[in-house]
Amino acid sequence: MVLAGAIQISLEWPVRASIIILVLGAIGLALLIVQLISDTRNAASGKSSEALTMEAPAVKTDSRWGNLEIWSWIAAFFAAIHLVGFLVAAPLFVFSYTKTYGGGWLLSAALGATAGGFVYSLFNVLLHVPWPKPLIVLLIS
Amino acid sequence: MLEAAIEGLQSILTPHSLAMMSLGVFIGSLVGFLPGIGGPTTLAIMLPFVMVMKDPVTVIALLVGIDAVGNTASAFPSILISVPGGAGSQATILDGYPMAKRGEAARALSASFMASLVGGIVGPLILLASLPILRPLVLAFGSPEFFVLTLWGLAMVGVLSGNAPVKGLIAGILGVFIATVGLDMKSGIERFAFGEPYLWEGISLILVALGIFGVPECIDLASRKSSIAERHELGSGFKQGILDVFRNLWLTVRSSAIGIWVGFLPGLGSSVADWFAYAHTIQTEKNTENFGKGDVRGVIAPEASNNAKEAGSYIPTLAFGIPGGTSTALILVAFTAVGINPGPEMLTTQLNFTFAIIWTLAIANIIAVAFCMAFVKPIARCCFLPFYTIVPLILVFVFIGAFAANFNYYDLLLLMVFSALGFIMRRHGWPRAPLLLGVVLGTKMELYLWLSYTRYGLEWLLRPGVVILFILLLASVLYPVWQGRRGGVSRVAEAV
Repeated sequence: MVLAGAIQISLEWPVRASIIILVLGAIGLALLIVQLISDTRNAASGKSSEALTMEAPAVKTDSRWGNLEIWSWIAAFFAAIHLVGFLVAAPLFVFSYTKTYGGGWLLSAALGATAGGFVYSLFNVLLHVPWPKPLIVLLIS
Repeated sequence: MLEAAIEGLQSILTPHSLAMMSLGVFIGSLVGFLPGIGGPTTLAIMLPFVMVMKDPVTVIALLVGIDAVGNTASAFPSILISVPGGAGSQATILDGYPMAKRGEAARALSASFMASLVGGIVGPLILLASLPILRPLVLAFGSPEFFVLTLWGLAMVGVLSGNAPVKGLIAGILGVFIATVGLDMKSGIERFAFGEPYLWEGISLILVALGIFGVPECIDLASRKSSIAERHELGSGFKQGILDVFRNLWLTVRSSAIGIWVGFLPGLGSSVADWFAYAHTIQTEKNTENFGKGDVRGVIAPEASNNAKEAGSYIPTLAFGIPGGTSTALILVAFTAVGINPGPEMLTTQLNFTFAIIWTLAIANIIAVAFCMAFVKPIARCCFLPFYTIVPLILVFVFIGAFAANFNYYDLLLLMVFSALGFIMRRHGWPRAPLLLGVVLGTKMELYLWLSYTRYGLEWLLRPGVVILFILLLASVLYPVWQGRRGGVSRVAEAV
């Protein structure tokens, strides 16, 4: 669908802008049809289409919530960056994660401080990044 | 050529370059002995920082240093805890771990370091020897040939890097589409930006790389959560392991040659170099009854091949601008950002940079082996670090790297999008390397195709070079598919 949609959109463009999309998109659509036929035939015969992969397989977690647990942490970190800014969110995230999964107070605090120190020294001292105001500051002001 | 070789060596031997190379070796080794974090993830994290560097030699020293040595240190977790430190050290487990259980971890480690050193020296030597052959070949190519070559590289990675060739090819095409997002400078057309000014400048490759590799690896590491069940002491036999490599020098050189060949072919990466070398060892060596039970030759062969493979992957990268794998794709992006132009220039006006890369590959391996041998005990302890100390720090680095792409919160949003894409692809067996390569090669492919079309119309399709390359492309795409149906080469790992 993505390929077909991209081709549809690019048809309205001049050749200079659409040539690569049209050429590769057509090949891609043909390949998709091949893949669909292959999947359908394998499904009908009950065979798995998986051969030996050259990439390590994804880990299937034993946790009750599966990968949702780590995804929640990532989403929370993402939200925290918006809410309180990088400088606070990074050490807070490292500290909370380490402490939750078994790290001691000292280790968690040390790792949190390392993360905070790294962000501060890189962005504030070295790169002088003009931070966008965090959401919480905007709300208060 | 000699002048360029000397100039390249001089540029690498300055205190600044040596310091950056040592930093690269340290980071590469750290990544190697911490199981779960791969070389591509590290390179993706490093990209935003190195792309602002002005000196090309500094970037070469740092990134090639990281890339050259990851496989050396990854032997630690493979041998000590039976967890591969990287994709290239999976076969090492088969004999390395039984040796550790037998109290010969020190022997296995020193043999792996010495084999890595031999592989790391033989690789650059062959890269050096290939330059006179590649030079006239590359200079004879025009834009039509380069277009087919980039297409070939993409197809090879698509077909060979995953478990489903068609999925790989589609992923590669999707990558090219991602590369087209933004304003087309020549026509002024807004492509797939949906009226969003943030997307006019295109999607940063850093975000794609961090999203599809960095976050999914962290998710895996966090999901694994398992503690190490068995812990083995280093034991004795450190000197004996070094001597083992010299006793099996011919095997080490042969395995290095296999690694170089695997590296040279775009798409086949570290993850198969070690298996090919291991399979070759079983097929060609005598007295194979101890393989899988702790035969030192089962450590030497994969370790020599996975280090030599890195040099092999630079051959297509430097000569044709077609990365041999994910790591070289990321390095290619950094090179381009600092003014190094992989392709014909690397064999003419920028030959000194090519030599700087060759020297770095060799010297970094020597530093890495010295580092691993000197700090074998503390490094061995690092293998047992719990996941909760690694995962949050890596995630912070990934988010920092993404934010540093444009210093915009939209970067983080795109990171989340590509992380979800990478996670889904990993879960459903879609290879991620072709997608990244598609993004890297997309702009070049478009340019070469357009130049070919405007200069020659459709006649470029009939140029002899193009016809030959198209035949080779079709053969290399169809042959693995045909072999896969016969249950051939891809089952080497299962067979051993």
